[in-house]
Order: sequence, then structure tokens, then C-alpha cells
Amino acid sequence: MNGAEAIVQTLVHHGVDTVFGYPGGTIMPVYDALLDSTVGHLLCRHEQGAGFAAIGYARSSQRTGVCIATSGPGATNLITALADAMMDSVPIVAITGQVPTSAMGTDAFQEIDILGLSMACTKHSFLVTEPNLLCQTLHQAFTLANSGRPGPVLVDIPKDIQQAPASWHPPPDPVLDGFHPDKDAHNSVDQALELMRSASRPIAYIGGGVNMARATQALRHFLQMTGLPSVCTLKGLGTVPPDNDAYLGMLGMHGNRAANTAVQLCDLLIVVGARFDDRVTGKLDTFAPDAKVIHIDIDPAEVHKRRAAHVVFHQPMPWVLKELSIALPVNHWPGHCQQLKEEHQWRYDKPGEAIYAPHLLNQLSRQLPDNAIISCDVGQHQMWVAQHMAFQHTRNHLTSGGLGTMGFGLPAAIGAAMARPDDTVILVSGDGSFMMNVQELNTIKRRQLPIKIVLLDNQKLGMVRQWQALFYQGRYCETDLSDNPDFITLANAFGIGGRTITHRDEVTSAMDEMLSVSGPWLLHVRIDATENVWPLVPPGAANHEMLEQHS
Amino acid sequence: MSFQLQMQCHKQPDVLERILRVIRHRGFTLNTMSMTPSHCGGKIELSMTVSSPRPAHLLITQVEKLHDVVALRCIDTTSNTDASSY
Repeated sequence: MNGAEAIVQTLVHHGVDTVFGYPGGTIMPVYDALLDSTVGHLLCRHEQGAGFAAIGYARSSQRTGVCIATSGPGATNLITALADAMMDSVPIVAITGQVPTSAMGTDAFQEIDILGLSMACTKHSFLVTEPNLLCQTLHQAFTLANSGRPGPVLVDIPKDIQQAPASWHPPPDPVLDGFHPDKDAHNSVDQALELMRSASRPIAYIGGGVNMARATQALRHFLQMTGLPSVCTLKGLGTVPPDNDAYLGMLGMHGNRAANTAVQLCDLLIVVGARFDDRVTGKLDTFAPDAKVIHIDIDPAEVHKRRAAHVVFHQPMPWVLKELSIALPVNHWPGHCQQLKEEHQWRYDKPGEAIYAPHLLNQLSRQLPDNAIISCDVGQHQMWVAQHMAFQHTRNHLTSGGLGTMGFGLPAAIGAAMARPDDTVILVSGDGSFMMNVQELNTIKRRQLPIKIVLLDNQKLGMVRQWQALFYQGRYCETDLSDNPDFITLANAFGIGGRTITHRDEVTSAMDEMLSVSGPWLLHVRIDATENVWPLVPPGAANHEMLEQHS
Repeated sequence: MSFQLQMQCHKQPDVLERILRVIRHRGFTLNTMSMTPSHCGGKIELSMTVSSPRPAHLLITQVEKLHDVVALRCIDTTSNTDASSY
């Protein structure tokens, strides 16, 4: 067995059925070994696409995503995807080829110090310099990617190490030292329960950490037992079932006014797997100004980082939520939140013939099965998806939250389609984002993945244009995309059928047609270029200072 | 404010680079630094003084997350007290 075969054997051991990558000179031994293995490989058309596909695979299935690239440009092209995975805490193992050890440090062809480049955008990275360290390093990479707060780990492997004789061994038996709550943990529970019982306006602020902690069911039970009103972050969407009466929707810059108002009024904020992101809090010192804080997060670096907490939990989230699942005293607060929710329902009765994207997305959401996966890109359409589509689980909503990476959606949808081949996968994209990884249409073609693409085309970089309109006195600079290609012709070039719609009365039949097609499909939707995402908390403002369309 | 960081780390070629990167990125300035082999095999002892208007815990919790940092102690050099906790 050589090093490359040991790498592939390690992938098999960790249950990896699909890897995403792009071959090249220094990773050729691994590609040679893949030929004789049970591990499937999906050739993407750019390493960034392979990285995002691995993220889509990981997020939709809660497994580890694996991407592979060669040295130099192959490795640097992975960087954006690794940064995305780092910001959104996605377990990824990236394997890169490196020039032979004897050539390292000589500015050899396609040599780059990817270990150095990866430091800011991975949880950890390794350079394997001895064949006998290869196997244990890869096992470590899988363990690290999934332990604590998940994240991406890069393993850089020189070509001579891949070619050298190597042995394979399983990882050491994990130390199964189950969680045993200590006195401090119980004291924290007592303090938290006291805060919960004495609060008159408590609310749960829920983030993507709940799903990562595999605590979704515990969270739902906690909400049911306590009757707490709740709000979710962008990455938390799907944690609370959308039909939960006390659920108020997404909070933050483009959140629902009911959610933001309730959070501003609360006197106790129970923060579960969230991190007071600036897009959530608005002006930080005005965020939930009267609230005491209970913060549940496995990462100590997130606690007291932007907002001091009164009670902190780093223990396993299911245990914490179970301990806090009590019936709370009944008062007027849930009723007040309910009233806010009723007052601030989304409205879809916009006059005119033009297609109103929020209405289209809401209509699509109601038409899809509960297990459908929505992948989206970044911009106005991303916020409309978050506002107007309903999610039964966070695994069904793939969005680039922390890094906000345009070009994420298409390859992430591809990864999801590979991970969950029996579920419907929809990509909602904008004309700006779509073009950033458009080469991955050929990856769809290659596997005939039945991904349905809803392309909301306003011929603008919509969100930037919106900010230029609102905050830069209408001085529009480089946000015009009226020179877009003919998207249907483009899709056709990749063997993907499609249809363009421009009027509201075409929406229903076009969506029916898209969902009835067995293979991939592009629904090209022309929308009004002047449409904005509402409501909006202006930069530097407090969340209760949201702007509405009429303002 | 000025803090002294005392760390024990795995002796990896990249560990110092990782720690320095985190110090810079999290808004702290490195003032002094010394590195010696540890009495424990395969490890090094690092001592650094850093300064920042930001509280020490914002740096400590980030450095502690680094895979090769084994132990960390932080002392407020003004009061000469432990500054490791929030």
C-alpha cells in the first residue's frame, strides 16, 4: 500500500461515499487510488465549486464533506470555500496535493504555502512530512472537523508522501468518557431556572448551533414545555417548526418586525447556539437593552464576546435544554408576542403585473414537500428566501451565513443532491451570484442531477444597488448587469432545459412545469430591478428602527 | 491594558505563526516574546506580553482553541493578577 491508497482507505473507514474535487499534478496518486476504491468522486469544474459542493453535502446530511485539489492554484481556489465553512462551522476535510518534499520552498511549479494560507480560514491544518504520519493525521483531521464546534480542516500532502510505502491502521479507540455534569453545571442550571421563573418577558434566540449540537428535538421539547416565544437567526431557520404558534420568525437586519420588536422588549434572552452576530444585533448597545442573558454555546470564545451573559453553558446542549425544560408562569407576554406576530404578517398583495419575488417564493415553498432542500446564493434573493419560505429543518436550508459568499448556491445544491438523492433540491439564485460559479452547470449535466434552478433576475447586483439607493444618494456604481447572457440559451448549452417568465400570471404554470420535469431545469424569472428587501435595519441603527417600504 | 501570556504548546513548526496571527487578528499588539524548550518532551514554553484596549478574555478564548496550545495562563501585568477568566 502506498500513501495515496492509505488516504483512500481512511476515507472509506470514515464512511465517506462521495468526494468532490479536481485533479492535477501533485494529487495524481490519490486520483489513481480512487479508481480502485468504492469512494465516488464528483468532478466539479472549479476547486471552489468542489469546496462548496462538499459544504452542501455536509450541511444537508450532517456528515463530513470532503474536497480534493492539487497544489498551487488548486489549493488557493479552495480558500473561499474553507473560509465559508469556517464562518458557518461546517465539518469539512480538504485534501491538497503538494509538490514533493525535496522541492518545497524552492518556488517549484504549482507550489504554494497552503498551510500558511489556510491558517485564518480553517480550524486547523496539517502538512504531512512523513509517510508514517499520514494515516494518523487524516484520522485526526476527521476527529477535529467534527469535535466541539465543527469546522474545516486541511491536510496538505506532498506527492512523494502519497507515493511512498505506507501502512494503514484504524484510529485509536475514542475515549468514551460520557458527560457527567459537575456541581458548577448544576449551579448554572439553578441560576438559569431562577432567571427564567423571575422574568416577565423571556424569549429564545436560536441559531445554527442547535442543529450542529444535534439538539433540534431537545430544543423543540424545551420550547413546548416552557411556551417561550422564539426567534431564529438566518442559520437557525428550520430549528423551530414554522407552524409553532409562539415562533416569531427571523430577527436582525432583514428580520420580521414582530421578531425584532419582541427581542427589543424582552427582559430575558435565552441564546441557544447563536453568537450576537452584527447582522442580528444591529447597533449592539441598543440590542435587547433590558435583557439578562443565558448563553448556551459549546464555544467559549463566543460567550461574552459581543454581549456579556449572566449564566453560561458550554455543556452538551441536549442536556442543558432538558434541564431547563420547565413550565413557566403564565402572563401576558406570549399573548403580546402573538399579537405582534398577527400585526406583522408578510403581505403578498402587491399590485401590478410584474412578478413579486417574495410571493413567488412563498408560493413555491407551499408547493414543495417538507423534505425539499433549498440552496440559495447571497443577496436580495437570499433574504427573500429566509423571509418567505418555510423550513422544517435547518438541513433543508443551505445559505452562506457568516461569510456571505456569492457563488455558494449552485455548487452547494450539487453537494446536497449527491447527499440526498431522493429529495427535491431547489436552487434559488440571483443573476449576480449565479454567474460566479456558473461553470458548475456542467457538473449538473455530468451526473444529470435533477436540480431545479429558480433564477431571480433583476439585471442588477440587487443588494448593492439597494444600498446605493438608500445610503449612497442613488449614486449607482457598477451594479448594472443588463449585459447578462441569455440564461436559457446558456442552460441549453449545458443540456438543461428552461423557461423565462416575466408576468405574474405565468408563475403557477411555470412552477408546475419545473417541478414536473424529471431532470434539471432553469426557471428564469425576470423581476423589477427597483425592488428592495423590506424591512431593513439601516447600518448603525437599532433593530427597533427598522425601515419599511413606505418609509 | 497589558497582559502576559504563558503557554505550553506542542513543538510544531507552525504553532508560533498561528498564535501570532490570532494575536494580530483579534486586536492585540505583541510587545515581548520568548520561547524555550519545555521539560516535557515535544513541547515548548512561550511567554509573551501583549497589549490592547480589548479585554484579555477575547484573546485567551481564541488562543486556547488552537490545536497545538496545551495550556495557557494570562496575567494582568498592571495588577499582577490572573486575567484568564471573564
